[in-house]
Amino acid sequence: MKNLLSLLFILCVSASAMAQKKVEVQFQTDGVCGMCEKRIETALLNLDGVWTADWNVETHETMVVYNPKKIEELELHQAIAAVGHDTPLVKAKDEDYAKVHGCCKYREEAVRKAH
Amino acid sequence: MIKRLVFGSLCFLSLPLFGQVDTSLYQSLQIQEVTIREDAAGLSIDSKSASLDLNISRTELKKAACCNLSESFETNPSIDVAFTDAVTGTKQIQLFGLAGKYAQIQVEMTPLVRGLLANSGLQFIPGTWVQSIQLTKGIGAVNNGPESMTGQINVELLKPEDLVDAAEAPGSEGRGDLLLNGYANQGGRFEINEAYGARINSKWMLASLGHFSGRQRGTDVNGDGFLDNPLGYQVNGMLRARYFGQNGWEGLYTFHALEDVKQGGQMANAFAPGIGADQLWKSNIKQGRLAITAKTGWVNPDLPDQSIGTIVQVYSHELGVEMGLPKRTAPSSLYSQFRGIQNGGMAQLLFRHGWGALTQTSGIVLQHDAYQVGLDRLELGNGRPWVENNVGLSTEWTYSAGERFTAVLGMRMDAHSIAGYQFSPRFHMRWEPRASHTFRVVAGRGFRMAQPLLEEYGRLASQRFIRWEQYGQVLGGDLLSMESATNMGLSYSHPFKLNYMAGGIQADLHRTQFQRAVIHDFYTPGERSIYPVNIRDWPGSIPLQSVSAGVSVNYNLNKRSELRMAYRYQVLQASYYSDDLNGNGLMTLPVPFVAPHRFMAHYSRSFKGGVVMDVTLQRYGKQAIPGIDPSIRPAIDYAPAFHLLSAQIRQEFKGGDLYIGMENALNITQSNPIDGAVSPQTSQPLLPSDPYFQSHFDATRIWGPIFGRMLYLGTNIAL
Repeated sequence: MKNLLSLLFILCVSASAMAQKKVEVQFQTDGVCGMCEKRIETALLNLDGVWTADWNVETHETMVVYNPKKIEELELHQAIAAVGHDTPLVKAKDEDYAKVHGCCKYREEAVRKAH
Repeated sequence: MIKRLVFGSLCFLSLPLFGQVDTSLYQSLQIQEVTIREDAAGLSIDSKSASLDLNISRTELKKAACCNLSESFETNPSIDVAFTDAVTGTKQIQLFGLAGKYAQIQVEMTPLVRGLLANSGLQFIPGTWVQSIQLTKGIGAVNNGPESMTGQINVELLKPEDLVDAAEAPGSEGRGDLLLNGYANQGGRFEINEAYGARINSKWMLASLGHFSGRQRGTDVNGDGFLDNPLGYQVNGMLRARYFGQNGWEGLYTFHALEDVKQGGQMANAFAPGIGADQLWKSNIKQGRLAITAKTGWVNPDLPDQSIGTIVQVYSHELGVEMGLPKRTAPSSLYSQFRGIQNGGMAQLLFRHGWGALTQTSGIVLQHDAYQVGLDRLELGNGRPWVENNVGLSTEWTYSAGERFTAVLGMRMDAHSIAGYQFSPRFHMRWEPRASHTFRVVAGRGFRMAQPLLEEYGRLASQRFIRWEQYGQVLGGDLLSMESATNMGLSYSHPFKLNYMAGGIQADLHRTQFQRAVIHDFYTPGERSIYPVNIRDWPGSIPLQSVSAGVSVNYNLNKRSELRMAYRYQVLQASYYSDDLNGNGLMTLPVPFVAPHRFMAHYSRSFKGGVVMDVTLQRYGKQAIPGIDPSIRPAIDYAPAFHLLSAQIRQEFKGGDLYIGMENALNITQSNPIDGAVSPQTSQPLLPSDPYFQSHFDATRIWGPIFGRMLYLGTNIAL
């Protein structure tokens, strides 16, 4: 009985979660490695209104699912740029880029080649 | 990425030689990207392994309230934790409802929870030392030993490179090579743990692991005159050296020393002034261990599928148990003592060679154990020395047809000085007919040597008269102490994504059937009978059997919260002599202290600002316990179902965390955990000199918590 109730609980929770409006977008984001991935994803996941985020280390593509009622797409790009990564809409400021770790300096030819 | 490369090569170097099973050695190269993710799931299934392997990470261990390995399975639906008695504070784990002794519990592929330490060895592995735990449900790999019947638990401790790499990793700012932990709880227990690693040069690294814990302040919440938890201390330390040479050589050398002292029993201040300590029932347990382990391995740099590994270990264990009144004042039925020393060692050579889809790992192991046991208890006679030697030959063949199918056939032959020649075939298969729908099949045999009294020493805290007429040596060391079982299992696992969020379903069905078992029979009031049941003497009977079916679901409700639920149904039955009832015959009865219905729910949520909350609810269904009414035969009673709720909040900050939590939040306690401790008329604690105490005292009928709600506080610091 208890198990059934819990199962119902899960179903309700996930049903209400699915009922929220969600939009999926994909765009290129410059970066090179797993550390970059973690940095980009953490920056996005820390935003309210972002449901999930994934940066692909091979294709350099960012996938974000968000609720357009709570956040605008441009804010996603700004959040990524704020941690030092370039997107098609927002280029990271030099001082933000300077903060990324040496092995993540994706603007340098040598670093890109090393990966 | 430098770190990734280093880590990857370590995974690769260490797995083939010392890695458990590992049927997926070849694949481990391909999944290394997953294994190093720092935010990897706390509890994950090795999707490529042919056996059902669960990996429990450090992240997951932080969710457990406390402290050592026996308590670290609280958030794990596969394993139950139970007390052995109400005096010594010893916790034991159960897998498929069967005691932990029927699983092969190892530390980095070497035995620890075995022999004299079978009862308490889990307490000698502090949780903060643990790097990860691999839990195999169903029989384990042949190369790791014959003793796995229900499954296998391997604990990997922090190695020098774990600490050094953490500090050398980019972005760590040099933190992570010194880890400190402090813990204290309302029950008077405190703990200090340390782990430190240092690089000596390009080839050598060192590490030290330290632990000090104790309890100085006693509590008696239920007013029965007995301490709820024993007082005492544990000092435990390990020194480790790691070598990574050129040309594929590596080594890991460990020195381990510990001392553990636990004193429980009656408290003087529960009685009238003037009652001396020599009039009180006391338990006094001392344990010690010294061990040196040397592992050396070589991977052919030109042929990474070829490797050789050796493990050499020598150890000395000491166990002293005193229970009852002090010897000089005691009538002999109120005193029991034994003092055991186990000196032994093992040497193992493993050789692995792969031909692409086909891989074999073969090994030879020599084991030696010399026991010296002194015994002093009225009905049991004297102690004695004995020796167990074993030579084991094992070979395991793994065939992988692409990503979707893996089969492992293992064969093991042991030439044991007491058990004779023992053949243990084992089979594992993994089949993924459709992507992310995986089925696994396991079947195999294992055996072990029981030490009926020593491995259940907590059960000496009882006035039950021990009967063992049909037995050769109640201490062990003869053929009647051999236990053997076959295990068969089927499981299904299915990771899924729903609404962009990850989840998984696992279901498993296992049967463990014993051909020989040593039965501890508590179903006659005032008595404890120990006897072997052998299927040859009783054709058609089942000496001991567990049938277990479980299903568990986990799902990330959103990016910050995870829900895990599990239900398991397990039926445990054993054959008991029932002379009293209908002459000579065996009777199939439920095994006591196992709840057939188990349910667990775990909810975890993280908040902004590094706050993590964990809540765990466990339900133990109604369980059989020995009855005390002599007019009912067999004397079976039932303990009521109960719930345990625990919660923890952790604040993470740069270089550490601070956590506060509550165990047993519903404040559930067993009302009379110790029979005969208090007067039935006045409810006042009784002295052992009281006739009622002498005829009724029994601390072994324990099925629930003694201590109620408990707050705890702890911190982890990385420097």
